[in-house]
Amino acid sequence: MSQPTPRIHPLIYEAQDQLRRGRITRREFMRYATLLGASVATASALAACAQPTAPAQEGAAPAEGGGAAAPAQEAAPASVQRGGTLRKAMQLQRIDHPARMSWVEAANVVRQVAEYLTLTGPDNITRPYLLERWEASDDVQTWTLYLRKGITFNNGQELTADDVIFTIGQWLDPDVGSSMLGLISYWGGMENVEKVDDYTIRLHLQSPNIAVPEHLFHYPAVILPRTFEGDFIKQPVGTGAFTLAEYAEGERAVLKARPDYWQTGVDGQPLPYLDEIIYVSIDKDAAVAAIQAGQIDSIYQPRPSDYLALKDVPGISVYSVGTAQTFVLRVRVDLEPWDDNRVRTALKKCQDREKILQLSYFGEGLVGIDAHVSPVHPEYCEQPIPAYDPEGARALLEEYAAEKGIELPLRVTLATKNDEAEPEIAQALKELAEPAGFDITLDITEPSGYWDRWTEVDLGITAWTHRPLGIMVLPLAYIADEEGKPVPWNETRWVDEEFTQKLREAERTLDLEARREIMCDIEAIMQERGPIGISYWKNVWNITRSEFQNVVAHPTSYDLLYEIWKEA
Amino acid sequence: MAVAQPTVDPARRRPSRLQRLWAGLALVFQSRVGTIGLAMVLFWVVVALISLVWTPYPPNASLFEQNLPPNGTNWLGTDHLGRDLLSRLMTGTQVILLKTRLPNGLVLPIGVAIWGVLGSLVLGTVLGLNAGYRGGWWDQTIMQVLDALIAFPRIVLYLVVIAALGQGDWVVILAITVTGAPGVARLVRSLALDIKTRDFIRAAETRGESPWYIMFVEILPNARGPLIVDAMLRVGYAIFAIGTLGFLGIGLPPPDPDWGSMVNDARRFIYANPLAVVWPSLAIASLVVGLNLFADGLREETTRYQK
Amino acid sequence: MARFILRSLLSTAVTMFLVSLALFLLVEVGSGDITVKILGVFSTPEQRASYRAQLGLDQPWYLRYLDWLVGNDWRAERLVGHPLVTVRNPQSGELEWWAQVAGEQLRWDMEEGQIYELVRQEDGSAMRRPAPETIWREGPEGEAVFWGVDEQNRAAMWIQGKPGVAFILTKAGMRQETDAPHRYIPLRKGLLRGDPGMSLMTGRPVMATLPTRIRNTFVLAGLAFMVVMPLALLFGIVAGVNEGRPLDRTISITSLALTATPEFVTGVFLILILGIWLRVLPPTTVFLSDSDIWNLKLLVLPVLTLTAVELGYVVRMTRASMVEVMNSPYIRTAILKGMPFRRVVFRHAVRNALMAPITVIMLHVNWLVGGIVVVEVVFGFPGLGSYIYDAAIFGDFNAVEAAAMLMVTIAVGTRLVGDVIYTLLNPRIRYS
Repeated sequence: MSQPTPRIHPLIYEAQDQLRRGRITRREFMRYATLLGASVATASALAACAQPTAPAQEGAAPAEGGGAAAPAQEAAPASVQRGGTLRKAMQLQRIDHPARMSWVEAANVVRQVAEYLTLTGPDNITRPYLLERWEASDDVQTWTLYLRKGITFNNGQELTADDVIFTIGQWLDPDVGSSMLGLISYWGGMENVEKVDDYTIRLHLQSPNIAVPEHLFHYPAVILPRTFEGDFIKQPVGTGAFTLAEYAEGERAVLKARPDYWQTGVDGQPLPYLDEIIYVSIDKDAAVAAIQAGQIDSIYQPRPSDYLALKDVPGISVYSVGTAQTFVLRVRVDLEPWDDNRVRTALKKCQDREKILQLSYFGEGLVGIDAHVSPVHPEYCEQPIPAYDPEGARALLEEYAAEKGIELPLRVTLATKNDEAEPEIAQALKELAEPAGFDITLDITEPSGYWDRWTEVDLGITAWTHRPLGIMVLPLAYIADEEGKPVPWNETRWVDEEFTQKLREAERTLDLEARREIMCDIEAIMQERGPIGISYWKNVWNITRSEFQNVVAHPTSYDLLYEIWKEA
Repeated sequence: MAVAQPTVDPARRRPSRLQRLWAGLALVFQSRVGTIGLAMVLFWVVVALISLVWTPYPPNASLFEQNLPPNGTNWLGTDHLGRDLLSRLMTGTQVILLKTRLPNGLVLPIGVAIWGVLGSLVLGTVLGLNAGYRGGWWDQTIMQVLDALIAFPRIVLYLVVIAALGQGDWVVILAITVTGAPGVARLVRSLALDIKTRDFIRAAETRGESPWYIMFVEILPNARGPLIVDAMLRVGYAIFAIGTLGFLGIGLPPPDPDWGSMVNDARRFIYANPLAVVWPSLAIASLVVGLNLFADGLREETTRYQK
Repeated sequence: MARFILRSLLSTAVTMFLVSLALFLLVEVGSGDITVKILGVFSTPEQRASYRAQLGLDQPWYLRYLDWLVGNDWRAERLVGHPLVTVRNPQSGELEWWAQVAGEQLRWDMEEGQIYELVRQEDGSAMRRPAPETIWREGPEGEAVFWGVDEQNRAAMWIQGKPGVAFILTKAGMRQETDAPHRYIPLRKGLLRGDPGMSLMTGRPVMATLPTRIRNTFVLAGLAFMVVMPLALLFGIVAGVNEGRPLDRTISITSLALTATPEFVTGVFLILILGIWLRVLPPTTVFLSDSDIWNLKLLVLPVLTLTAVELGYVVRMTRASMVEVMNSPYIRTAILKGMPFRRVVFRHAVRNALMAPITVIMLHVNWLVGGIVVVEVVFGFPGLGSYIYDAAIFGDFNAVEAAAMLMVTIAVGTRLVGDVIYTLLNPRIRYS
């Protein structure tokens, strides 16, 4: 039987046309095409047709972070070596039902054993993984998922559509309590999930959405066997390259290579190359010393100080990647003085973005505009970076103070958590805002103390994580629900009718170019009267000892270890 | 028999306060160790006072490159935010010795370490005097409670108190007070047990003085020598404790520098700038050594004097 | 002698009682409304109240204190009317509470107002059957109530014809459930019976983590003790015998400087110099398996750090005591009588001089514990100290309480031993 030729989505041809005319970059095209179901190979081919010239500006992706995860391995097979242990420092929390996971750390252990239907690479392109491919209907409301054949779980059972349907059932079961439940509410429940045959599943979405493949790589979304009973530590069954040998919360996790994994390495043998992975739960400061002495090989989510300590150490490699992770300086617009846009604008003007980036992150990031859309997002609309303007800010504040009959400086309290870069940003901002007439008192607490009240403080710095699409975070934090109440994560209470309208439009717009047009307006509104300041988008590092090859930095710090090998 | 003898009441016939202070200091100067100790302590007091009016640069301003080694401009180098370390080290003395920041923006004179020790002195003295002088049921109860307090390893108590009440100058003072009071109380109790057998106490009792009067007017002044020595050592412990808390990241809140959190900040950047850890560490160690030597000298001389 | 020991034991018991009470209240008061911490700031007051009841937090503090200390199964047994037992589920490996009724192990559940009995099977699963009507008893307000054990290991009270409403916590949010009980007693055996409860940090019983941590800390502290004591006593005696000479000054000043240098400074610099720059020793204690605790090379730097801090203190104590003894009349007489100096020192002076340091050392275990917390944090050592630190930062109250009680017990226990040893060595104070 020959394989049916995959159908190519009409929008892909449109995108190809845009690429040909130079309206989108190759990177954007790849992303878009793969989103709509073209395999990476097909997309590359289409891109190649469209692009006789050399690739256009590829963004700031460093060499190590770029396409290294693409399946097309070009390394000479002879150079790959097998065996060895990777030891990584990472906090180890409780794991029970993978669908219930709420920490990336837990997911990093689980993802070595169990796998996802799709995979969003470090380049923000989502590819089929356990899926062979997917197809979206023209209205993007019906999605057909084609499973790869011949994949077995580590208990010998074959992966079929039944396992996938079982797993989706777990996500949608309120008794399980998965965060997938809210994320894929637009699927409209189990009755819209159809088993076509043993290897094909069709989703009939309640409302169209282009982010289905992205959502299938949300970290709780590992595919479980249909026999799964609810505790992954007791029943660590998955299709992954490793098996779980030991798990002790707060201590360590030991994973061993599985001999019959479905993917093969460049030497023709099944992956993985490594024999063993050990995660140890140790303090980060201790980990920085340990990696230098070779007691461990890698550190989960290094902090800026760790980056600085390790970047020039011989024998240690630093891989970095730009992300949509950021520290949001946000105000409560329902409280004085932040209800006045002049005060908000004054505070935004106090951001010396380059200096804040340098002081708190050693320049390792991309300076931002005061809108929650990152330059790494495909629909980002480029805007000039606002300059540090204490005089302008002071003028605004004086106007405000005169109107209110108060004296400058304006006393405010800035709350944040004592974590990777927040205290440094807060201290830098305090100094930068002083000439403008702000007197900022710092209220820096332990992370859990801040998370207890992050939506309640009137002025604060909140860390927001990476999402691959620009339209994914805005509806979480800057709109109101049907009753007009700010959504639960709307920490600023800022609700703007024009903004909401534009955002809804953007969410419906499949055409990338058109979506970016709308995004320009959205960004302008947020900059003009929005509740947040974003000084920069941080880089994420993967710091690993140099004998390990094929290491990449992933924007969400996901560990993809099955293709890593160790030079003896 | 029971007629009160006209005993010499030492509280009455004393030279003036200043003279007494001078006499005390003269005592210290007789001991070389004590003199060195006093000099080290005074050095930091002077530094703290100077820092109130002058530091080379504003201590919280990021004016320079980050993590610089010592150089002509920044004598001790700069920290990870490009702030002058000498200015921060000088200002860091204030929180320990000269000022305490209260939650509503008020500032009290006298530093956190000293308030903490004063707190434990007051609490410990009240408990110790009552236990020692009244004895019996009072003694049993108070000592039992103190035993329970002493049983807590200090650090555990700090962790629990701070986990419960959050960060802040007054929480640190409270923690120092609670951990210090049992030690003071034990000392005061043993002194009171000794002093209460003296004749002038019996005289006061016969005069019909109230127990509180006897405890605070008759007994306490006679116990002050060892108490002062003990307090000196306690200020040392308190500075140590503030340092440890700062190091664990649960001490005094930023941005104003204190030595413990300076060590904590600098430790994360130790590979880029190891000396930044050295300065605050040296400051803590030298002040603690100074206080110890001063206390040693004081003790040596007072005991010799008594013999 | 026996009376003295008995009295010490009694006093220690009272102390421990007070400590446990103080600790419990401090943590309870301090951690505030933990339902906000668990349920988040978006939870409604009804949800919090329901959840608080499910955790048993709606009971008065003294009952909760008792539950925490000695458990509540005996209290619940009286309400349920059957013995309550813990059985390990062979599938999940977890301990479950069941009621022992006429040779069967039962739990109960309400569905649509009807109570069902769940009969435990050999394989850990349960068989479901409707419960007889005879289970209902008359409650305090005339209604028919039933106390049983529910599926979440709680004793629970259902009311006939009046199913309760409860909010169940899931990761996806709170879910409202009817057919719920009206009162709960979350069953536990209590600290004294070896059950400190669940850890919020790991989601597993505190006892699953604690024993290894205790062992590790004992090994570390024991090693440090074995290094510190001989060295400290030796230096202390040498300094004491040579009072005022340069040797004494050197030892005294060095030990003072060591005491005055915080352990975190010593630790950080030992890591930097010996671990990173010179590469002679592993800088941190990374345990790749549980048996790595016996890899002594890993322990050298932490032990050195503890030694540096502890050494100075004990040296100073021993020296002071030695000086005092050497100046005492009987030693002077012995020397004047022409006894060899060496013999005077070793036969007479040392024995008497060591008495004071031994008690001080025992009292000093407290101090050592403080040092251990910092040292464990600096070196990433998986012991009791780093455990209590992590737990305190996380707000894991069960873990903090258990670990703190353990540390207090160690401190109080060693003090008791110190007292007894001191009394044995020194008959004079035996009856004072």
